[in-house]
Amino acid sequence: MGNSIVNTRDQRFVLYEQIGIDKLFTTDKYSGFSRDMVDMVLTEAEKFAVEMLLPAYDIADKQDPATFKDGKVHAPVCFQEPYRRYCEAGWIGPAVPVELGGQGLPMSVFAACLELFGAANYAFQMYPGLTLGAASMIATHGTPEQVQKYALKMFSGEWSGTMCLTEPGAGSDVGASRTSARKLPDGTYSITGTKCFISSGDHDLTRQIVHPVLARIEGDPPGTKGISIFIVPKYRVEADGSLGKANDVVASNIEHKMGIKGSATCTLNFGENGACTGELLGNEREGIKIMFQMMNEARFGTGMQGLDFASAAFEHAVQYAKERIQSKKIEDFTNPAAESVAIINHADIRRSLLWMKAHVEGMRAMNYFIAYCIDQEHCAATEEEKERAKGFVDLLTPICKAYCTDRGVEICSLGMDVFGGYGYCSEYPMEQYVRDVKIATIYEGTNYIQSLDFVGRKLGQNKGKNIMNLFGEITKIIQSAKSVEALSSYAVHLENAMNSTIALTMRLGQWAKSLDYIIPVMNARPLLMIVGDVVIGWKLFEAAIIAQEKLAALYARLGVNEAQGRALAKDNSEVAFYQGKLANARYFASNVLPTIDGRCACIGLTDKTPVEMAEESFSV
Amino acid sequence: MNIIACVKQVPDTEAQIKVKADGSGIEDGQIKWVMNPYDEFGVEEALKLKEKNGGDVTIVSVGPARAMETIRTALAMGADKGIHISDPALDNADAFVTASALAAAIKGLPHDIIFCGQRAIDDDSGQVGAMLAELLGIPQLTLVTKLDFAGSSVKVIRPIEGAQLSIETSLPCVVTAQKGLNEPRYASLPGIMKAKKKPVDVKNAAALGIASDVKAKVAKVVPPPARAAGKIICGDDAAQKAAELARCLREEAKAI
Repeated sequence: MGNSIVNTRDQRFVLYEQIGIDKLFTTDKYSGFSRDMVDMVLTEAEKFAVEMLLPAYDIADKQDPATFKDGKVHAPVCFQEPYRRYCEAGWIGPAVPVELGGQGLPMSVFAACLELFGAANYAFQMYPGLTLGAASMIATHGTPEQVQKYALKMFSGEWSGTMCLTEPGAGSDVGASRTSARKLPDGTYSITGTKCFISSGDHDLTRQIVHPVLARIEGDPPGTKGISIFIVPKYRVEADGSLGKANDVVASNIEHKMGIKGSATCTLNFGENGACTGELLGNEREGIKIMFQMMNEARFGTGMQGLDFASAAFEHAVQYAKERIQSKKIEDFTNPAAESVAIINHADIRRSLLWMKAHVEGMRAMNYFIAYCIDQEHCAATEEEKERAKGFVDLLTPICKAYCTDRGVEICSLGMDVFGGYGYCSEYPMEQYVRDVKIATIYEGTNYIQSLDFVGRKLGQNKGKNIMNLFGEITKIIQSAKSVEALSSYAVHLENAMNSTIALTMRLGQWAKSLDYIIPVMNARPLLMIVGDVVIGWKLFEAAIIAQEKLAALYARLGVNEAQGRALAKDNSEVAFYQGKLANARYFASNVLPTIDGRCACIGLTDKTPVEMAEESFSV
Repeated sequence: MNIIACVKQVPDTEAQIKVKADGSGIEDGQIKWVMNPYDEFGVEEALKLKEKNGGDVTIVSVGPARAMETIRTALAMGADKGIHISDPALDNADAFVTASALAAAIKGLPHDIIFCGQRAIDDDSGQVGAMLAELLGIPQLTLVTKLDFAGSSVKVIRPIEGAQLSIETSLPCVVTAQKGLNEPRYASLPGIMKAKKKPVDVKNAAALGIASDVKAKVAKVVPPPARAAGKIICGDDAAQKAAELARCLREEAKAI
């Protein structure tokens, strides 16, 4: 029996067997860590997620959501105790350097912890998640005084944080921001404006909330170029670090949302009474650049949200499919004496479950790999390795965000289908998963914004070296898979898919320089999903090659041949696990990868109907 | 104050237990292992005593190599050092041998109070704490749900049917922890980082001068019989169904 939200065996497979994070422990930076230590961290994270966070998941959705009462915002009451214990146990910033109050844990390990927390209760996780992002940004770009004054208390969880970008008239177009800043004689700034959709914008889990706010200093140019970023606390901070009077930051309401109801989504008014002050973070007019640090981390976090829910929905669906009895086996359909069986015996359920499983495990492998590349940036021996690792992080971050959230929504929906009518009812968590995951395709830069970033910026970044490095890695796996008998015929599909994708990306450059520039702009989302599928295929084959080796060793140890070995899955969970990895690669290669050629061909037709047709023709 | 907490590594309550084909025990290769939940109460109480009165907490465990994980977990919760009694000769230890091993290890240590879980959730024997007290020749307070320390004595509450006993004894003594004593803390991340550097002595049977002289042998482990299929009582109306139910209970189940 698992924990019903995340397969911890697979987490360890990805970390230890697929990525091999033990390599990190030989570097100076991570020399204090070892596998048994990481195991303990993962075990504690799982325990905390299951015992403290999971019980509040349903409650914070139904009886005890975030509320706005008498002008005050309240987080779910059922979050108070878990939040206190979360901070006490040091979960806000395990990957933060020791000197800032963290433990210097590898990001790859923290990603695995985050998956457990997010799958248990994502709405809860948003409060400490945003705090970590805001504090990290202040730690990187702030003055030593600002780090001391704000970041340390945020890393400990005593104070919390937000990110204030969006305004009623400035969503995807952040450059349209109207919030303004006026320099005061003491060097601080008076802030005026309204921000909306601010997660954790106001609540009572902490008394102090620190808002990083994008605003334009009076007289600065329009657009993103003229935007600066300010640290704006809810309460002014006295010289001794204690909290002074309110800083004229007022939450005027919270949104009533489809999901993540435990997360307080606020409209914040800054300086309605002209008494809101903020400190400049970094230099003037560098707001967007600075905020991008937090945005990139948050994009990874949102991609993790897609994975979290996909994982929880999948684990629930498998469990249910094994228990729910309905209909006879297809081969017994005409036999009146045959008994009904668990629905996992039915072909469509199996196909659905394997589609979910392959995606969940592929996304887990991709996301942890991104986290591992962040670790490599910190500990690489050479500049070249560092740059290569950073290249992967840059390139894969928009894929992580958009791919995992789009697929996350599909996986939750398919998981609900496995439950049938019961899945649509609130007795089971599936309907909450479907509602809670959907926001992830929208916030933190919509998936179209991610796709534009990917196609317009990331593909060509570093003169195309990043994407070529990626294809280089994939090619290595294709070659290895071809030499594995159990995989060779399937590896061809990954090769074809990659080649079609390479050919398409070559044409992008030509389109960009011609009147056809609208083709990549219009097809950015399908383009991102194509590359995403190739990346998932790569990770699934990488895992399958390892699994095949492990299986051969297991069979040899048990003294059985391959055919006998296959029958062992019923009683031997290791055999079953590795066989599942082979199934992932075979299924994905046979059912997803062959579609890529056709999808590339669609874009290659350069049809422009959507942009050429009359607006009126969409609906008369 | 010198505080000892004894811990046992047991299968997770969620683990699916499979009995070995030859009935000699359970398949232990693929299950998740955790600290016995009753021992967690003991560790938590030990840590609370230490935080209030100073001193240190030593964790003692008898078990195979993997039991080290459980010792480290207790160290991550805040205990100071550990003793791991590990010896293949003790693999089939019964309650008596386990208690003897613990007693041998603890004898050489200063000890004011020793915590055990009231029983382990795997074999449910509930004897080790009591035997340990006897072997050390000190008082035992079992199934404790509340503990007050007063310098040289402790006062505890032990629930009994319909009432509760309030018992007081001098130190040193053995206390076995029952659910309700406290709410065990989670190991913190800084705690996990520090746990690795805390000392754990590994001792074998020879070093402790004990032998695996078991008093009880496990003859055979068998899984519980599979539950028989239920029976659905059909009938046209409630009265008819009730009559059939009564008949089944009387004639088939012989319950009435």
